[in-house]
Amino acid sequence: MADIAIKVEGLGKEYILGHKKSGDLRNAFGDRLNRLFKGSDQNKESFWALKDVSFEIKKGEAVGIIGRNGAGKSTLLKILSRITEPTKGRFEINGRVSSLLEVGTGFHMELTGRENIFLNGTILGMKRAEIKQKFDEIVEFSGVEKFLDTPVKHYSSGMKVRLAFSVAAHLEPEILIVDEVLAVGDAEFQKKCLGKMDEVSKNDGRTILFVSHNLAAVNQLCNSGILLRQGNVTCQGEAQKIVHQYISYNKQIETGMGLINLELRKGSLEYQVDSIEIFSESMQSIKIAKTGEPLVFEILLNKKVASKGVRLDFAIDTEHDMRIGWFSSSVIDHELNAEFDKIYLKIPKLCLGGGLYYLTFYFTTNGELTDFIHQGFAFEVEEGDYFGTGKTIPKNQTFIYQSHEIFSN
Amino acid sequence: MHKLIVDANKKSLGLNLKELWQYRDLFYVLAYRDLRVRYAQTFLGLLWAVLQPLATLLIFTLVFGRAVKVDTGNIPYPLFAVCGMAAWAYFGFVLNQSGNSIISSQEMIKKIYFPRLVIPLSKAMVGFVDFAIALSFIAVFMFYYSITPSVNIIFLPIFIILTIISALAIGIWMSALTIRYRDFQHVVPFLVQFGLYATPVGYPAELIVKNLPGWASTLFYLNPMAGIVEGFRWSLLGGNPPGQLAYYSFAMVILLFITGLYYFKRTERVMADIV
Repeated sequence: MADIAIKVEGLGKEYILGHKKSGDLRNAFGDRLNRLFKGSDQNKESFWALKDVSFEIKKGEAVGIIGRNGAGKSTLLKILSRITEPTKGRFEINGRVSSLLEVGTGFHMELTGRENIFLNGTILGMKRAEIKQKFDEIVEFSGVEKFLDTPVKHYSSGMKVRLAFSVAAHLEPEILIVDEVLAVGDAEFQKKCLGKMDEVSKNDGRTILFVSHNLAAVNQLCNSGILLRQGNVTCQGEAQKIVHQYISYNKQIETGMGLINLELRKGSLEYQVDSIEIFSESMQSIKIAKTGEPLVFEILLNKKVASKGVRLDFAIDTEHDMRIGWFSSSVIDHELNAEFDKIYLKIPKLCLGGGLYYLTFYFTTNGELTDFIHQGFAFEVEEGDYFGTGKTIPKNQTFIYQSHEIFSN
Repeated sequence: MHKLIVDANKKSLGLNLKELWQYRDLFYVLAYRDLRVRYAQTFLGLLWAVLQPLATLLIFTLVFGRAVKVDTGNIPYPLFAVCGMAAWAYFGFVLNQSGNSIISSQEMIKKIYFPRLVIPLSKAMVGFVDFAIALSFIAVFMFYYSITPSVNIIFLPIFIILTIISALAIGIWMSALTIRYRDFQHVVPFLVQFGLYATPVGYPAELIVKNLPGWASTLFYLNPMAGIVEGFRWSLLGGNPPGQLAYYSFAMVILLFITGLYYFKRTERVMADIV
């Protein structure tokens, strides 16, 4: 227990969408009345930015958090930095924390560089005496000595960033939480900052939690990684492995057609799959499928096949390797043309909850295996309105939707 | 070892004054920033802090002193008014500043943690400069009219502290309310303007008590500043001490201050989400 720096258990954050957030008194008053008479808010719509996040980080570890936009990275950092409170779950932090979600927080344009060092440093949690002691070092690192007594509004944007980062780099917390702050500044200065962070984590044994889209930086800086997807932790492990997984997943989501896991491919490959893409019912290419809506897979082959003696099997697995769907030309009446090079698999109403799923493809001609790619295609499903009631199944129950009726005598 | 536990199921309502104390450097630095920035790039600079109250004083003297001829006993009207204005101007300044303070620091609030109470509190400190200028006005006027301060002056610090607490009480309430309901952005300037006349700044409180029915006087004294302005003036110039009704004002100050702190604390938890 003693070597744990951060322990997160079942953390969740719900945001209320719609007009209820803030605004004016009349709305608030109206809502109160509604609640009083109807017993509940009718138009309350919520969104879970983080659903159920648990992990542990050991002291001295440098952990990279990666994930696509909207995966919950920033929300997680905001909760751990205490900027916002979790809706559920708890976390424990052992050690003095500094969080850096932005460089130059609180910088005031009218103040001089010198004054801003004190202002920004104090906002970041340094004591006055501490700043005084490190002042020369900060100035030297930033390289803006000459303009120290000039109002910051006359600085170039690069100079501002350098000054701001120099202050941040001289924080000495036991745990450092850093958001995508390196995206600003010129390449050379970025390198300098990465070097400084690297030095901090490796030499001083400090714990670093680092969010970035710069995967090279994650690779270089972090020894472990956490991959977030749709508000959940998908996997945690060695940084390089996590980065690799993210890249393959991402590439495929971006293009919507890449095949993955090709090392497990089997078969004669006389006919083989070139690409897989997903479409909506109206054959619009989509990147993310949605629960409750029709989903069409298009499998493109390298050349035309005669339909005689062809068997096509498809399977869907969860990201935890559980098979939850099997589709085959051997169990239904299929409509394959005499010759084809595009195969369509249509699911009229997708019954899968939000998450990542893999498609396995199995193709035989005349009883001989032609192409088999185990979990060769990944697709993401966004939680949707399956029942048409606006409600979703609780995540901790299941991820499979089945339409049902409940009635009485 | 520093240890922090945050649990969504256990919400504490403690004020955590210890933490506030640890952030005292931030409190100074924010006040310093506001002071530095306030008159940056102005031609007259700090002179503005002198000109503004002087102008108000002039109009008060003309309207209440000369035209209406408010009875201020043997105290010259300008001196009478400047005493009330000193306390009121500080109150109004802090109220104006802190009402909007959280919204104008929203960039900071969304990016870093610190006890949010530091923001409205630092505004109370910024106002000290104006308060000091106003107090020196009073000294100049007393010297000019060769009036010696009454012995009640030993109570002056108490009334200064009450002025600060009262300004903070309403300022904290307004800053927290403004986050949720932007309506209060419009309420604050109105409150300051309205209060200038509803508070015995330019006239003695006795006028109200004498000429209005009992319930109206009670209502008048529910304004926390009513009793304070009166007491402030009494401690400097002597005369009749504040009446019994003034205790309503003092009770209101304490009540508003404590409830304000708790309301702020409650709002603080969701501040970054709704601001």
